[in-house]
Amino acid sequence: MMKQDIVLDIKNLHKSFEDANDQMEHILTDFNLQVKKNEFLCILGPSGCGKTTLLRCIAGFEKYSGEIQVNGEAKTAPGIDRIMVFQDFNQLFPWKTVEKNIQYPLKQQGMKDKAELDRITAEYLEKVNLAGIQKKYPHQLSGGMKQRVAIAKALALKPQIILMDEPFAALDAMTRNKLLAEVQTISKTEDCTFIFITHNIQEAIVLGSRIMVLAPGGRIKLDEENTIEHPVTPASEGYGKLWKRLHDALDE
Amino acid sequence: MGTSRIKKSKEKIHKLVVQLVFLLCVLVIWEVVAKAHVFGSRSELVFPTLEAIGKAFIDNFTNGYAGVSFWMYIVNSMELLLLGLAIGILLSFVLTGLAMLSKTFYYIYNLIVSVFDLLPGVALLPVVIIIFGINPAVIVFLVVHAVVWPMSRNILDGFQAVPRIYVEAGKNIGMRGIRLVTGIYIPATTSYIVSGIKVSWARAWRGLISAEMIFGIASCPGIGLYINQMRTNLKNAEMYATLIVIILIGVIVQYGVLEPIEKNTIKRWGMTK
Repeated sequence: MMKQDIVLDIKNLHKSFEDANDQMEHILTDFNLQVKKNEFLCILGPSGCGKTTLLRCIAGFEKYSGEIQVNGEAKTAPGIDRIMVFQDFNQLFPWKTVEKNIQYPLKQQGMKDKAELDRITAEYLEKVNLAGIQKKYPHQLSGGMKQRVAIAKALALKPQIILMDEPFAALDAMTRNKLLAEVQTISKTEDCTFIFITHNIQEAIVLGSRIMVLAPGGRIKLDEENTIEHPVTPASEGYGKLWKRLHDALDE
Repeated sequence: MGTSRIKKSKEKIHKLVVQLVFLLCVLVIWEVVAKAHVFGSRSELVFPTLEAIGKAFIDNFTNGYAGVSFWMYIVNSMELLLLGLAIGILLSFVLTGLAMLSKTFYYIYNLIVSVFDLLPGVALLPVVIIIFGINPAVIVFLVVHAVVWPMSRNILDGFQAVPRIYVEAGKNIGMRGIRLVTGIYIPATTSYIVSGIKVSWARAWRGLISAEMIFGIASCPGIGLYINQMRTNLKNAEMYATLIVIILIGVIVQYGVLEPIEKNTIKRWGMTK
């Protein structure tokens, strides 16, 4: 593996919280991970295995010991090179229209050209199949639409890594499947690395170019390339075997 | 959809009819009591007839008092009130903003707000008069005092209630310090700010009238002073007519200023029902 191919390099990451009884609870212990450019890494794990904490450390929302490097630079604070898409539908600012929600972060980066901002907004809304909703307020959108806008907002910033923390967990199955297919298509065309956290084995197989299973304490139980050809359906060759491997790794 | 709209307009009509009938009953009872001279010789002072109040209402505007137009009194009061409101609200934003940037200042300011919020402005009047002299600045000071504490309390509470996800989304796009306060904390706190403005306006309005009644400034006569002048001249019908003016101004502000603010912010953004 060429050194410059690695976009995210995590070394000896350690994170613990104090619980209610002043006891240290070790969430992640000596965690190491390297992620290649344009990889789509899906991390599966039971509740409490530390996967959300891992994502929050990468995003810079948590203090930690160890090292997290993006393109060789150590990161300890949040930054626009790592954009988080949360599970919560309320991640858009309710006081801004869809258009302003997408443009605000760009403006914060110093982009002033109104025509260019509008063009980018239209382009990314198109990508998530939401053309023409620029002037709507978030409360006028469904949950699935809000998550799509959040993804469009993240993509428009052209970050190195998009971090997704179970963004579709609260959606109904039909909407979720549609969004999975959309994200799958987008990830093929965008020059961006994805780290996607989920409980859902099917989500991991459909999306991931690489799938990882975490056990409590952040121990990596399984880490493999997903070789099933896209688009993935349960009828795809190898789906059943991979599903079983992941299921068994989760179940142990 | 159609039926719910009909239901809604029915409710509106119901509300309107009930309130109108109630108002009419109050007026009729007033008039009966006034005509019956229940309070004997004092009756004209306590319950002037509606005709007398109506006539006084017009007289107020046409004659004024001692050569000064009644409009002058209203304009003076409103000027001082608006100036005080503006200073008070601006000051609240600056001070609460600072409290967000420095934890030390937050602890101090929190204490100051808690203490001064309990002090009625008129209780400070003796000291304030010594500082400013008999001067419109005293009234402005009292209005600022009436506004800044409840407004600050609301904003501080609102800041504490800002969902973590907005703050993190803001930090994620590189916002820090003052930009995080103005770009995320303040808009996310709008519903608290709107209710703060409502409370502040009500307190300021009362504070203003009380202050003007306690000491009138002849060079800058206001509505409160007018009430007092009517009282000393036993012109109680005129005094009641002035109370009506005070209520009318309140209603105009409620429907002409506060409701549009609500409609264009938290209602449009779906932050309230």
